[in-house]
Amino acid sequence: MAVSAVTAATAAPERRRQTGGPGRAARYLFFGAALFYLCVPMIAVLIYSFATRWTANVLPDGYTLEWWQATLSNPRIQSAFSTSIMLATLTAAIDIALVVPAAYWSRVRNARIRHVVEVTAALPFALPYIVIAFGLMQFSGMVAPQFQGTFLLLVAGHAAIAFPFVYWAVDGAMAAAGIERLSETAEACGASPFQAVRRVVIPNISAGIVSGGLLSFAASFGEFAMAQIIGRGMDTVPLWSAEMIRSYSDTAGSYNRLAVVTLLTFAVLFALSAVVVYWNRGQTVRLLPGAGATNPTEGDRR
Amino acid sequence: MATLTRPFEKIGGRESAGGSASPSLVTRMRGWLAAWLPAIPLLLLIATCLVAPVLVLIWESFTGMGESGLSLDLWFKVLGQRVNQSAISTSLVLAALCSTITLAIGAPLAWMISRMLRGSRAFWLGLLNVAANFGGIGLAFSYTATVGTVGMLTLIIQGLGFGYSAPREGSLPALLMAYEYANIPLFVLLTIPAMSILRDDWWEAAQVAAATRFTFWRRIGIPILTPFLAAGWLLIFTWTLGIYGIAYGLAGQSGATAVNLITLQIGTALQSDVLLGPGRAAILAVVLMIFATISLILYRVMLRRALKWL
Repeated sequence: MAVSAVTAATAAPERRRQTGGPGRAARYLFFGAALFYLCVPMIAVLIYSFATRWTANVLPDGYTLEWWQATLSNPRIQSAFSTSIMLATLTAAIDIALVVPAAYWSRVRNARIRHVVEVTAALPFALPYIVIAFGLMQFSGMVAPQFQGTFLLLVAGHAAIAFPFVYWAVDGAMAAAGIERLSETAEACGASPFQAVRRVVIPNISAGIVSGGLLSFAASFGEFAMAQIIGRGMDTVPLWSAEMIRSYSDTAGSYNRLAVVTLLTFAVLFALSAVVVYWNRGQTVRLLPGAGATNPTEGDRR
Repeated sequence: MATLTRPFEKIGGRESAGGSASPSLVTRMRGWLAAWLPAIPLLLLIATCLVAPVLVLIWESFTGMGESGLSLDLWFKVLGQRVNQSAISTSLVLAALCSTITLAIGAPLAWMISRMLRGSRAFWLGLLNVAANFGGIGLAFSYTATVGTVGMLTLIIQGLGFGYSAPREGSLPALLMAYEYANIPLFVLLTIPAMSILRDDWWEAAQVAAATRFTFWRRIGIPILTPFLAAGWLLIFTWTLGIYGIAYGLAGQSGATAVNLITLQIGTALQSDVLLGPGRAAILAVVLMIFATISLILYRVMLRRALKWL
């Protein structure tokens, strides 16, 4: 029912053009402004990363590659990047490993799993990460103080706040692939549950696993509040950036190095979201959470 | 949902447990395990890292860090303080302003993008996706580099001879501008699917009935889209209340003159144990939870209304 409305409208744009709308010029102006608004900050950061000194004139006083060299060879920044990448990779891996069996089981055996998971998946969306992080710190202090401030706890926290991305992606892919029937067929052919998952289920939901994994990777890579509260004394990219932005001094070039790191972070996130968008072929990845019915299911995209 | 029963393996849970001969504890346990086992690791993670922390904070806000039994003392103390009152009201004002601006710009943008040809729609979706992913300290810095006191646009405007000075990095207008950078794209991405609910036939039908574009929007378009847009507004409102990274990055630069927000207060309360320390942070965190719960409930109501049209 939802689907017919959606496909009808998405098939329409060809026709829609003739209706014109509020004037061509106004529309171009609007989109021009939007484009400007979206691109200018990125350009400014790019120029900043090559600038020698840039506080007085419209353009920097000079250009240099010094910041890029200094940043890329700085051991602290290197270690921040490797910490962040490790953190994000572990987060994505754990989430995939935990979510796939749970989502699979909720589809083929026990629908009650779905209710529990869906209600709790709203938590990281509704509650600010800083609240969850603070609660996690207090809770770990009560039950397991030895974990406080450890990398392990931060990984667990990130896995907890990023799991809905993986769950929605994987569950959507399972719905699209019709995983109930597939696993039924596999079992009728004599496959054990484990074989069914490995040889039938996973190959059929790989797109969902990839985009879910990338989204959770991105969420962890850019996350700041929890890293600051739980990972005190650690060096992730956002933590390093926060320190730099607070310790602004004109001579030390901290802003230029920050510009380089911001661009690198941005490149990572851009690459990830490009892959996700490509994987979903022009469909929006984010939908109003909970509005499953408005969501054209994968099967209808062909 | 359909529960699959397999011919060659008896499944536990309700079916076997409900039988007349009450099965032994072992069988029941086995049935329970068969129903839940693959999900247990995920449920454990959720329980320890999401649910328990929330409960602990609520508990702590009433016990005042485990001194004397349950009491509202800490609540009165914390909510009576000027800093916290102003943090709560500023946060609410900022979030309301922010999501209203987002709605005003994002809704028309979403509409126009939803009616684009495939190629240009994909281009815009890609661009918005990138911007929506941009947040935290990186966004705070690019704000500084673009429209901050020595940012690129500020310098250009000043170079053209205008006596313009940018708002301070930690001020309300500055935060608004920085937040919007990620919020508007997010809102557009969230509401584009809803835009396709408004069917083109309806506009044609309205035209046949001699409706103007204005009447069409007033009588059909806006009433149908309102619940979706309101749901989007609520989400942006909730998320804006909880933003910490951008605010930390921007407010840090202007020190004491920065705006006072709930999230920033939580951060400060955790780092320096002066005032009431973690107890104060717990209360402010619970305040944020209350706001989030209220808007989540409203969000569900809106969504239920919105989905009526499907």
